[in-house]
Amino acid sequence: MQQSPSPTDRQAGHGGTVYLDTVSVEFKVAGVLAVDKVSLNVKSGEFVSIVGPSGCGKTTLLNYAAGLLPAWACAGTFLVGGKPPVIGNRDIAYMLARDALAPWRTTLANAELGTEIRGVPVEERRRRALDLLEQVGLKGFENAYPKALSQGMRQRVALARTFCLDSPIMLMDEPFGALDAQTKLQLEEVLLQLWQRDGRTVIFITHDLSEAVSMSDRVIVMSARPGRIVADVPITLGRPRSVRALQKDPRFHELYSHIWSELEAGMGLS
Amino acid sequence: MNDVTWSPLKIWSWRLVIIGAFFGLWEWSSATGVLKPILVGRPSGIFKYIFSALFVTGELYRDFAYTLTSILSAFVVGSASGVLVGMLFITRPNIEALMSPIMLALNSMPRIALAPLFLIWFGLGMGSKIALGFSLTFFIVLTNTVAGGRSVNPDHITLARTLGASETQIFSKFVLPSAVPVIFNGLRLGLVFALLGVIASEIFASDHGIGQILALYGASFKTNSVFGIIFMLAAIGVGINLGMTALENRLLRWR
Repeated sequence: MQQSPSPTDRQAGHGGTVYLDTVSVEFKVAGVLAVDKVSLNVKSGEFVSIVGPSGCGKTTLLNYAAGLLPAWACAGTFLVGGKPPVIGNRDIAYMLARDALAPWRTTLANAELGTEIRGVPVEERRRRALDLLEQVGLKGFENAYPKALSQGMRQRVALARTFCLDSPIMLMDEPFGALDAQTKLQLEEVLLQLWQRDGRTVIFITHDLSEAVSMSDRVIVMSARPGRIVADVPITLGRPRSVRALQKDPRFHELYSHIWSELEAGMGLS
Repeated sequence: MNDVTWSPLKIWSWRLVIIGAFFGLWEWSSATGVLKPILVGRPSGIFKYIFSALFVTGELYRDFAYTLTSILSAFVVGSASGVLVGMLFITRPNIEALMSPIMLALNSMPRIALAPLFLIWFGLGMGSKIALGFSLTFFIVLTNTVAGGRSVNPDHITLARTLGASETQIFSKFVLPSAVPVIFNGLRLGLVFALLGVIASEIFASDHGIGQILALYGASFKTNSVFGIIFMLAAIGVGINLGMTALENRLLRWR
């Protein structure tokens, strides 16, 4: 039986894995231990959310993975796609909390920015950008400048820019943190569709438990500083999911309250 | 404030009323001798002079051409080197750390006081005029270029680095485009300073040029002619500024 390879098969092996073994991050000058002996194994194609109180080192972990931290601050074994973190790693697509759109670029040019920097040929990157803009619901806005877009639309462009890259690992740092509840739900649906289509690994940082539960395969709960993993909860909800429908699902609320109590324990509140 | 926004028609009418009242009062006071015409001039005399200079005698064209050439040269050379040095400072922070106090000291010198030196060094002709205009334009454009380079969004830099952008890519795709609006402010000011420097230097000493004519008419109490020339210079300044605004709106449509 001949089967066409699915995207997940293409990224088998080390391509989309993220592996942490007793990883610590200490900013010695400030005397701050940001992350304390974190071990984590993310499989290729897995959607993992990391939740925790602010200042628990969530973003620090992502920055480490992206090679943005100085080597002297880091200890332990960290492997991204089987390799130690390095700046500009093409296996990684990083999405920041703020959209970081270039105001002087049109929607289309912004969506193409990442592929342009990574040297994807013009026709190919144009094709991908147009496709993704359609996926995120921005068809017809290709020539608009960011100033004409709403916050939600801008974040859609950022999503398109991130998914235009062919990196097997997506690092997302609270990308929907600044959006209102309705827009957030819409964008979560869009993200899930994109993820289900490509089967790439997503590490998603958030402080919104509901967001984490509704999208992820696993939710990692971190404690207040120094950041430690206090719980690793598999989300047993089926796929494909609808974020909207889940809001009324009792199993969703069970998982939500379970993780919430883990989080409170981690913050030393209970 | 609960004011309704005035219509352009209303704004223009009132503007004309204010200007008309000002000139009317001026005309009346010098006609009746409340103010001495030899000191403050007289609007009708001023417009008579402008008309004859432009359409009858044509006495100013050559000098205007001379002065405008100096201004344009000072502006082009001054702003081009200001932008270039500014970019060098942005991309090489060490050079900036080394040079910026020296630049600050140079920029703090009263440039008009250098006019006599420039005359000795570069002669009575255009050279000394361009030098003074340059010395003003260069620094204002330099300061704005550096400020523009600093205005880059840190998120853009983080994004660029995670994408593996080279230094050249970071500069051309992020630093430069975000600096352009601020550089434009510098260019606008730079042009005004080029005009100032050139005219001042011409008033000081020159073989040709509007500033020299101004000095001559001023010394011989031809007040109407002095005002006439100043009005024409103001009109040129407004025209150049409108041109800059049009160019800016074209280049910076995204704002």
